[in-house]
Amino acid sequence: MSLLEVNNLTISFGNKKVVDSISFTLEKGSRIGLIGESGSGKSMTSLAIMGLLPDTATVSGSILFEGQELIGLSDRDHSRLRGNRIGMVFQEPLTALNPLMRIGKQIAGPLMVHKGASLKEGLEKALQLCTMVGLPDPDRVLRAYPHQLSGGQRQRIGLAIALACDPALLIADEPTTALDVTVQREVLNLINTLVDEEGSSLIFVTHDLPVVSAMTENVAVMQLGKIVENASVASLFHEPAHEYSRRLISAARLAEDAFSGKGGAL
Amino acid sequence: MIRKAMKGNVSLIAGSIMVSITFILLALSFIWTPHDPLEVNPEDSFAGISSKHFLGADKLGRDILSQIIVGSRVTLFVAALAVSIAMSLGVSAGIIIAIAKRKYQSPMVYAVNIALAFPAALLAIILAAVYGASTITAVTAIGLATAAAVAQVTRRTAHGILASDYVLAAHASGASTWRIIRKHVMPNLRASLLIQASAAVSVSVLAESSLSYLGLGTPPPAPSWGRMLAGSQQYLFVNPLLAIWPGIAIVIVVLGFNLVGDGVREVFDPTLRRSDS
Repeated sequence: MSLLEVNNLTISFGNKKVVDSISFTLEKGSRIGLIGESGSGKSMTSLAIMGLLPDTATVSGSILFEGQELIGLSDRDHSRLRGNRIGMVFQEPLTALNPLMRIGKQIAGPLMVHKGASLKEGLEKALQLCTMVGLPDPDRVLRAYPHQLSGGQRQRIGLAIALACDPALLIADEPTTALDVTVQREVLNLINTLVDEEGSSLIFVTHDLPVVSAMTENVAVMQLGKIVENASVASLFHEPAHEYSRRLISAARLAEDAFSGKGGAL
Repeated sequence: MIRKAMKGNVSLIAGSIMVSITFILLALSFIWTPHDPLEVNPEDSFAGISSKHFLGADKLGRDILSQIIVGSRVTLFVAALAVSIAMSLGVSAGIIIAIAKRKYQSPMVYAVNIALAFPAALLAIILAAVYGASTITAVTAIGLATAAAVAQVTRRTAHGILASDYVLAAHASGASTWRIIRKHVMPNLRASLLIQASAAVSVSVLAESSLSYLGLGTPPPAPSWGRMLAGSQQYLFVNPLLAIWPGIAIVIVVLGFNLVGDGVREVFDPTLRRSDS
């Protein structure tokens, strides 16, 4: 049994389809990249798996997670999976943390909700998690408020929260888009290492082809709510089948050439 | 902690002093007043400032200072009760509307807007006509009228908080709606609620004064600042001081609570703090 099976998932707002009958499967411990421009439906897909779509959305199709159907699941049952079996890292580390709550409590939150931990136990585990995500001086970090940390540090916290309960699936929604380029590399490496160590599966959502190639072996290219190509990273680079994939690759190459001085015209 | 909060926070210091003055008056009213505030003394009619009457006396020769001291009871009682009604009703209504399903939201928002459009004075007149003018009818009218305004601001603020990324992130880590309200919505509402509460104190003090002035509040003879103002207007050219003293008292309470609200907001918002623990 696959960890996650998405079948003919369709999400629409009114009569506008933002995700149009997409299907993919994810085995235990494997990874998939969802790549596409903004509005292609990649974030909506991850929110559908989390059960966090706005209540104005209508969803059809099927999402099987560990054999359990997630579409039509009550919010109460879905919330038992969120942060527990499925963790999620968000795009904006700046706004994804409560500005008025100390970091320690925010990391301890999912442990208290799902594992019945006391605040004290939660904070002890939070200290380990801070060390695990490579934050220096974890004692100080736990007592800090979000605005006292840098963007990269905050994204590490986001990762610590997502991984607190050892989820079987981690969804990373453009986790490095808002970060400095130098910090991006560090955070990507960290996600790579931790997902390997924990043996979790990974859905990596991005619009950036070089980033996804560093993270996953398989890529689903999305455009206007449809998966237009589903291939391994290597074959996508060498023989892109779809027009949109070719454009993505040439855009990535263009940036690379400009960097190495071959572009000229840029 | 308090000393650190006070440091350089001019509004908090000034506001606290003004609010303290009011509470000292309140405490004093139970222990000592220079005269019996209701004692009529014809030979002291319109007495000026003297060692017998520090702030003078009114037409009937009643001591103004004593009336101001005792009048603080009505003012603070009305303010405390009306604000409690307004905040508890307004905040719960605001949050309930904010978390309700979209289709239920707009009728509730309409209901709040209708309540908001209903003038407090009219409500007070109706209540006074039905139950007779008393402090309680004034409190109820002020509390209900202010609750609508509180509900509206709370709903709007809570709506913004619920749409924020950190609430989405909290949902994503499995938090229940109730936990999100307690841990994320309430703390982030706190600054806005404090400002609303302090504004509500000011509004209720003013409203109580207006209602007493119109004869819809605390019935005579119990002294009230609003009725002292009403009583003094006939003699404004004979003895303007009669209007000035209760006016000053009202200004001190209103301004004091406003300044405290402003100052406390700065203390509660960690991003506004100059240094941190």
